[in-house]
Amino acid sequence: MSALLEVRDLHLRFGGVKAVDGLSFDVHEGEILAVIGPNGAGKTSAFNCISGFYRPTSGTIDFEGRSIMRVLPSTITRRGMARTFQNLRLFKEMTVLDNVKTAMHANLREGFFDTLLHTPRYRRAEEACAREAQGWLDFVGFEGDEQLYVTQLPYGEQRRVEIARALATSPKLLLLDEPAAGLNYGEKQGLMRLIRKIRDLGVGIVLIEHDMGLVMDLAERIVVLNYGKEIADGTPAQIKADPVVIEAYLGAEDDEALDDTTLTGMVATVDDEVPPSGDAGGRSA
Amino acid sequence: MAPQLDLALKHAPLRAPAPLFERGKPASGPRSQPGFMKLLGALAFAFLLALPFIDASAYTISIATSALIYVMLCMGLNVVVGYAGLLDLGYIAFFAVGAYVSGILTTVLDWPMWAAVPATILACVLAGIIIGGPTLRLRSDYLAIVTLGFGEIIRITANNLDVTGGPSGIHGIPTWSFGDWSFRDGLDLFGLHFSGTVLFYYFVAIVVATVGIVGVGRLARGRMGRAWKAVRDDEDAAEAMGINTYFTKISAYIIGAVWAGLAGQLMATHLTAISPNSFHFLYSALILMAVVLGGMGSTPGVIIGGLFVSLAPELLREFAEWRYLIFGVLLVVVMIFRPAGLWPATAVLPWLRRHKPQAWPATAPLESLGGDDRAEVGPAAGARPAPADPRAQDPADDGEVRR
Repeated sequence: MSALLEVRDLHLRFGGVKAVDGLSFDVHEGEILAVIGPNGAGKTSAFNCISGFYRPTSGTIDFEGRSIMRVLPSTITRRGMARTFQNLRLFKEMTVLDNVKTAMHANLREGFFDTLLHTPRYRRAEEACAREAQGWLDFVGFEGDEQLYVTQLPYGEQRRVEIARALATSPKLLLLDEPAAGLNYGEKQGLMRLIRKIRDLGVGIVLIEHDMGLVMDLAERIVVLNYGKEIADGTPAQIKADPVVIEAYLGAEDDEALDDTTLTGMVATVDDEVPPSGDAGGRSA
Repeated sequence: MAPQLDLALKHAPLRAPAPLFERGKPASGPRSQPGFMKLLGALAFAFLLALPFIDASAYTISIATSALIYVMLCMGLNVVVGYAGLLDLGYIAFFAVGAYVSGILTTVLDWPMWAAVPATILACVLAGIIIGGPTLRLRSDYLAIVTLGFGEIIRITANNLDVTGGPSGIHGIPTWSFGDWSFRDGLDLFGLHFSGTVLFYYFVAIVVATVGIVGVGRLARGRMGRAWKAVRDDEDAAEAMGINTYFTKISAYIIGAVWAGLAGQLMATHLTAISPNSFHFLYSALILMAVVLGGMGSTPGVIIGGLFVSLAPELLREFAEWRYLIFGVLLVVVMIFRPAGLWPATAVLPWLRRHKPQAWPATAPLESLGGDDRAEVGPAAGARPAPADPRAQDPADDGEVRR
């Protein structure tokens, strides 16, 4: 099975700062890959390189066997890679439905004169567009009013709309940048179900996330970054047992730090958003 | 539905699942938002048609015609500023291009005015590409300054060229004519005499303004309009949605240029004379003010803004030189009490029937959130390579982390 996305030896430098320093990984169809690392490790910078917003200093990025280096972000999206943003970037003065419709821009057969003259092509395109957008909103479990402006929605719902918007571009690969940030426990559970549902559509998923519980549960493979360098790549179990990863998160400690109980400590340290009812505290006891 | 979808969508490897239930048709009728706007538009159109029968004095018709020209200009700038969010301080340049192209073609080359319409449109498309091409790579403040510069360049060029008549401009621009017959001859119909100005008002000004208003409204609601608004709200997110932001901005610029050019042609015909002084920076600012005052991105708001800017100096004429002061104070008051404009794009009219979201049927949520953990482990896990599944490998650990 050839990889959907192949990143090889990716470097990104801002002046003297090495934001990404030799990152390589593959993503396959229908796979969930998590990218984790402490704050400032270069996760989002790597995402921005892959989705075309930053131009990498060196390295190669192939999507479906074709290079996507020096390609416009919009073209990358048209080829089938969608992304969400760390700090919600919905179109604030548009309704929920229009936000999702906008993402179908590149796939809609509607020309300038169709819009101006309201031809049958226009009506057909708009009807299909509204139906698809509604379908995606239902798919992500958005139960609110799709005619509201997005700023009128609670935060969790806005997250859903952003995922629906990314899906409406009809992606083969979806990059999610901290989708669980700011969500409560229940919403995170819903998000995990949703991500699995998207995976079951055959979409590859790359996930940046700080919530270790969510990552360990969801990801099939994990890439760990620290100071722009890739320090580990493996299944969740391998990552949990990796002394280098533990050191990156907790700093070097005495030998005791490397035994299995540290892991639960790591979860508790990194994931400060699990409510007290979660077992973070209970486990370490 | 599937064949319909294929006709409507290009390649789309991933199709949305069908909506959980049919939403039904969007509301229509005079008490729904779109229905009410249509009714309002029809009433305004009827009033425009009836105006010469109410007061056919040359003064009234002349003011009404220039009001329509201003509205046309505002509609064009609304695309650039209101929808695409590009601050353009040299918008009057396109107005000048339209006025000069039609003026030169009809006086120097003796073309009939109707034949100058396609030439004006073409010239404005080119002007939009030439001015927009290099400048639209800039963002916000820089764009404003560069467009300001281009606006002045066009005016100063017109001031210095021979073909544009230099500082004195072009005089004797003819009105519309078809063969031997011209609007100037007037027309007698059903025992009524229609003068040249009324004919121009009826058959050119109203038609162009209506097409301009309806056209921009339609574009704004379609695929292109959504792209404009997306670029306005968040350029990077728009790019991430597969919208080429550069072409989207150029398209908004070209539409704005064409609208301004047509307004310029109307103005050249209406006044029969143009000079570089008609295209001062002041007018760019005035049109921009009308758009901001009315409500950026709102068709009714911008029409109100355009009417205000064109009619207020006339209505305040009795205050003589005080009128610009009163004008300014009125503006400040409006901006304090209605910062989003007189009729904002997001306005919901209180007396209209409210949109009610349809509640999900009781069975729907279960179906939609069907990816319940138990259901998912079954068939889906089998399809994937086993080691990739964390639960398959380390169930105890998994339970511990997740619970």
